[in-house]
Formats: sequence, C-alpha cells, structure tokens
Amino acid sequence: MAIFQILQTEWAIRALSASAMVGMMCGMLGCFIVLRNMALIGDALSHAVLPGVVVAFMLVGFSTIGFFIGSVAAGLLSAAAMTWIQQHVQTKNDAAIGIVFTAMFSAGVMGISWISHQQGVHLDLKDFLFGNVLGVSNSDLYLTTFVSCFVLISIISFYKFLFISTFQPIVARTMGISVQGIHYFLMLLLSFSVVASLQTVGVILVVAMLITPASTALLLSNRLNKVLITAGILGFLAAIFGFVAAVVFETTPGPAMVMVSTLFYVIAMLFAPKKGLISRFYQKRHLEHKIRLEDTLKRAWRLQEKGHFSLDDLAAQVSFPAPDLKIILNQMMRNHLIINQKEVFQLTDTGLAAAARLVRAHRLWETYLARELGLTEEQIHEDAEKYEHLLSEELLDEVDAHLDFPDEDPHGSPIPKK
Amino acid sequence: MSNIITIKGLSVSYDRKRVLTNIFLDIEAGKLYAVVGPNGAGKSTLFGAMLGLTTPTAGDIAFWGTSIQTQRQRVAYIPQKNDVDWTFPATVWDIVQTGRYPHQKTFSWDFFFKSSAQQTQKEHDKALTMNALREIGMEHLKDRQIGELSGGQQQRVFIARALCQQADIFFLDEPFVGVDVTTEAKIFQILKRLAAQGKTILVVHHDLSTVEANFDKVILLNQRLIAAGDVATVFNKENISKAYGAQLSVLNKMAE
Repeated sequence: MAIFQILQTEWAIRALSASAMVGMMCGMLGCFIVLRNMALIGDALSHAVLPGVVVAFMLVGFSTIGFFIGSVAAGLLSAAAMTWIQQHVQTKNDAAIGIVFTAMFSAGVMGISWISHQQGVHLDLKDFLFGNVLGVSNSDLYLTTFVSCFVLISIISFYKFLFISTFQPIVARTMGISVQGIHYFLMLLLSFSVVASLQTVGVILVVAMLITPASTALLLSNRLNKVLITAGILGFLAAIFGFVAAVVFETTPGPAMVMVSTLFYVIAMLFAPKKGLISRFYQKRHLEHKIRLEDTLKRAWRLQEKGHFSLDDLAAQVSFPAPDLKIILNQMMRNHLIINQKEVFQLTDTGLAAAARLVRAHRLWETYLARELGLTEEQIHEDAEKYEHLLSEELLDEVDAHLDFPDEDPHGSPIPKK
Repeated sequence: MSNIITIKGLSVSYDRKRVLTNIFLDIEAGKLYAVVGPNGAGKSTLFGAMLGLTTPTAGDIAFWGTSIQTQRQRVAYIPQKNDVDWTFPATVWDIVQTGRYPHQKTFSWDFFFKSSAQQTQKEHDKALTMNALREIGMEHLKDRQIGELSGGQQQRVFIARALCQQADIFFLDEPFVGVDVTTEAKIFQILKRLAAQGKTILVVHHDLSTVEANFDKVILLNQRLIAAGDVATVFNKENISKAYGAQLSVLNKMAE
C-alpha cells in the first residue's frame, strides 16, 4: 500500500518522530499550564516568538539553532513584558497578555513579509502559522530531541516543586520554595516546547497541543502523576494518528493532529468513567430513581398504618406520574419490599424495616437541624426530605448519639429506633 | 518559660498604608493561641509577616532566636479552606506527604538513581505520612481525591500534612469557616492534643464566643497590639471593646 511506502521514506520518519516527541512533551507540560490557568499565556508565547525568528534570520541567516535561540529570547522577553505590565500598569491581566502577544506577532508578520520582498529570500509565513512538518531537517530533529529530553527530565526532577507550587503557591512559599523561580522556569520550558512545536503544528495551533491532551487526561484521572503520563501518551498518539491521517487524506498534518486530539477529548468528555457526561447523567438518574423509590416506600408505610392500599391510593400520594410508579413498584416486588395481593398492596417486613430507616433519618435530621442550628419547624422539613436519602447509616448513628438518642422529632412524631 | 517566637517593633505597610504598627509579642511553646480582631485588623498580615511572606517595613521577628528562613522545617502553615482548588488531581495521601518536602533535598535525582540512603529516607517519609493519617483518623480515606471529602475532612487533611512535617509551630488561618459544630469540636480536640504534646498553635479566629473554652492564650489585634496573654486575664470586656472599637453590638451580646 502507498501509505506504508510513504511512511518508510526518510522525510516521513523524521516528521513522524519529531511530531511524536512534540506531542508527548506538550501533553505533559500542558498539564501544568492548564492547572495554573495559563492557557492564554501558552497561546501568547507561541505567537510572540515570531519576531525572534525574523531577527535571528537577519543576523545569522537560515539556521536552526539561530531560529531556536531567537524564538526563545522573544518568548522570554514577551513573558517578562506581560508580567511587568501586570505589576506596574493598571491593565487587566488577560488584556496585558493580549496586548503584548498581538504586538509581537504583528511585528513578526511584518518582518517576514519585509524579508521576503526586500531580500528576495522566500520565508513562507504559512509555514510558521500552520507548521511544515514535512520539511523537518536532521538538525531540526536533533533540536527537537534535545528539547524534549530537557523538558521531560525537568518535569521529573522538579515534580515536587511543580506539584506544590501549582496546588498551593502560598504553602510552597512557607516551605521555602521559590514560587517565582518555578514560574519563570516553567515559562522557559514553555518557550522551549512552543519553539520546538512550531515546525510540526505552527504558531496558531501550538496551544491545542498544550491544553487538549492535558484537559483530556484531567477528565480521566485523579492523581497528578497519572494525569501527566496519560497526557503524554495522548499527545504522542494524537501526533502519530494525525500524521498518518494527513498522509492518507492528503491534508495538512498539524491541523490533523489537533483534530485527533480533539476527538480524544470529546470521547473522554462523553465516556470518562467518573467525570464523563454520560456517567454523570447516569449517576444523577440513579440518585433520582433512588429518591423516588424511597419516597414511595415512605408513603406506603404511612398508608399501611391505616390498613391496605391500592395503586390509586399510592399514586395520589407521590409526586411523579403513575407509569413511573408502576415501574418502581415492580422493582420493589422483585426486591421483596412489597407484595401485591389482588390489587391490594402490603409492605413486607423487609419493606417496613427499610421505611422505618428512612423515617428515622428524616426525623433525626429534623431534630438535628432544629436543635443545633436553631431552625424553625417550617424550615426543617424540606431539608430533611432531601437529606434522608443521602445520609449514611454511620453518620445517622453519630447524629443520634450527638442528640442523646431523642424519642420525638420537633413536630412531636416518634423517631423509630434502630 | 520558653519563648519560641519573639517579635520586636514589627510594622507592615501596603502602599504606604499602615496595616500593623509597632507590635511587640512573645509566643510561648506548647500553647494554643487565638489571634482575634475585627476585619482589617491585620491578622492575616501578622501571619504573613511571621511566615516571611510579607516584608515588614520595620521590626524583627525571630524563631528560636534566628530567622524563619533556617527554621522552615519546623513551621507549618494551614491555609483557609476556601483558598484551595478542591478539583486538583491529588489524593489525600499525595497532599499529606508534601509535608515531607521541607525535609527532602532541594533537588533530587532519586527518580533516576536510588542510593540505599535515599531508599531508607523514602521508607521513613512513607511511615511518617501513614502515622499522620492515622493520628487524625483518615487512613481509610488516603486514596480519595481531595474534592470527594467532607468539609471537616478537608480541613483535617492539612492538619495531617503539618503533622507529617513534624512541625513545632502550626499557623491556622480561619480553620472553622464553613465547618459545622461537630467538626469544629473535633478539630479543637486535635489542636488541644497537639498543644499538650508541646506544639505551639496559632489560630486566626473569628468566633469570640468559643475563645474562652478552647484557647490558652489570646492575641487581640487592631492594627496595633491591644493585648496579649492568658485568656483568663486578658480576654475581658475592656480589651475586647478596645479591639473592636465601634462594633459594640458584639459586646452587648457577649455580656448577656
């Protein structure tokens, strides 16, 4: 197949290796960028490096190292300018970032077109905007390898400092850690990775490589070290699949990588085990169902105190439609909480015990609210109606003991004993 | 009597506005201190200056007779619950073990090379983390993400970190904000136990009604030091009214 032949050519291997390294590096570094709310700064630095390239070109001509040094210098200069404005001028933080990076970007664009016209050298602006991964040279590849290793080793070595100064900067300072120093070091790493990514995805899309895999990983895991590894892997895979897709569909590789990354994000957004929308929807549904079932149980308990009851009696009591009630009653029968004898319902002993537990929760909580928070009888019912479904048995025992095992709730109704 | 913190002539200004003026204060070991005063009295600024986060305009603060910079390991700061990002990807264990950071080398290669000394150190740190969790009764929650804890548990995580750090002085910034009565009592219990073990605990505190029952010492502040000393002798109507000035309604309630 043609695709495998293309992927075996030297330029394709170079391009693929560079993209994969950039994907992994940006994914990992991006976790800190996202957690520190620095996404805009990532975007800003990538735009701001352009004049660095222009100046480097004017000084030393077409040189990978020259471009790299010029870009990093421009990035750091912009970072310093943003910080200075934020601290000394009464301009909002994000506006300060916007002003600096758009100015730098404009200067870069003007410089590039000036060079193209005046000096007769062709520097293609499009390559900077959207990347030119197919033009990765050997020296580009060496540079990318070096930068990726540097960033990776830095993250691992300074993990502790990055962790605590991202989570609680003030506590980090009381531990004697230079939070300011960590911030500038992170800016340096960010400039490095932005510059290394320019050739693969370009100025406009670097920010996607930083924030999309990291945000995806944050939906999938609850521990920072796992988030870092996951984001690294996602960035790596997005780069490889994106590149292959670009070859297959004969389109631009950078945007294809971003689209694959976005696809990962959408999948995680929907299907993540705990934080995904679908899982959260079912958790909510599950809770709603539980509340309806427990409400039914309580109403049935009250009706049973006056004897048997029919479906209509119960339907008149609950706050949801009869078809739903039937489903719930069927489930209760399966669980042996209730029995149905010729359209007359009766709670079983298990059902009675379950209902008593709920009533106990409700009345204990009402007592707690009234006594501890001084709320009135009218205020407490609604709250207790909600919490009776949520309070755990141990917590209720604790509340019971705390209240010295009361016999009656504030309305004078008896509290069932355990 | 042993003074572990000595403050001499401390003044702090922000943008030429005096926040604290000429504070002289001695902190004794093994006591539970309440720092009280109205809003804007400079309670947090005092903490900031003591912890070396804010540079004072004048004065001198000494921990065990020397600068805090050399004593960081022995001092723990427990921030306000509301200042914390509870969605952060970290478990209870992850947070508590950061208490070991001030004791670890500034830069370590231990991810790459492990010497036996470092291995021993690591085991030691793990054991201390576990002990701290056990002491506040949260070892069963160690793998919980911090956002999945109840309000009281969230506050206790940071106390556990301070324990794990084996700190001698604890700074707590309003630990009882947004915490229910039972949890408050539980936290006081922990703090009293720590004080009995010889730890020194300073608490920025809002609720005047719980000062007498729970604290050994009180520092009344309103930009200058109003009074400091034993709760029994210093926490009286006169000093409170000096600290709270115009807010006399609070006092009338107290007198009832």
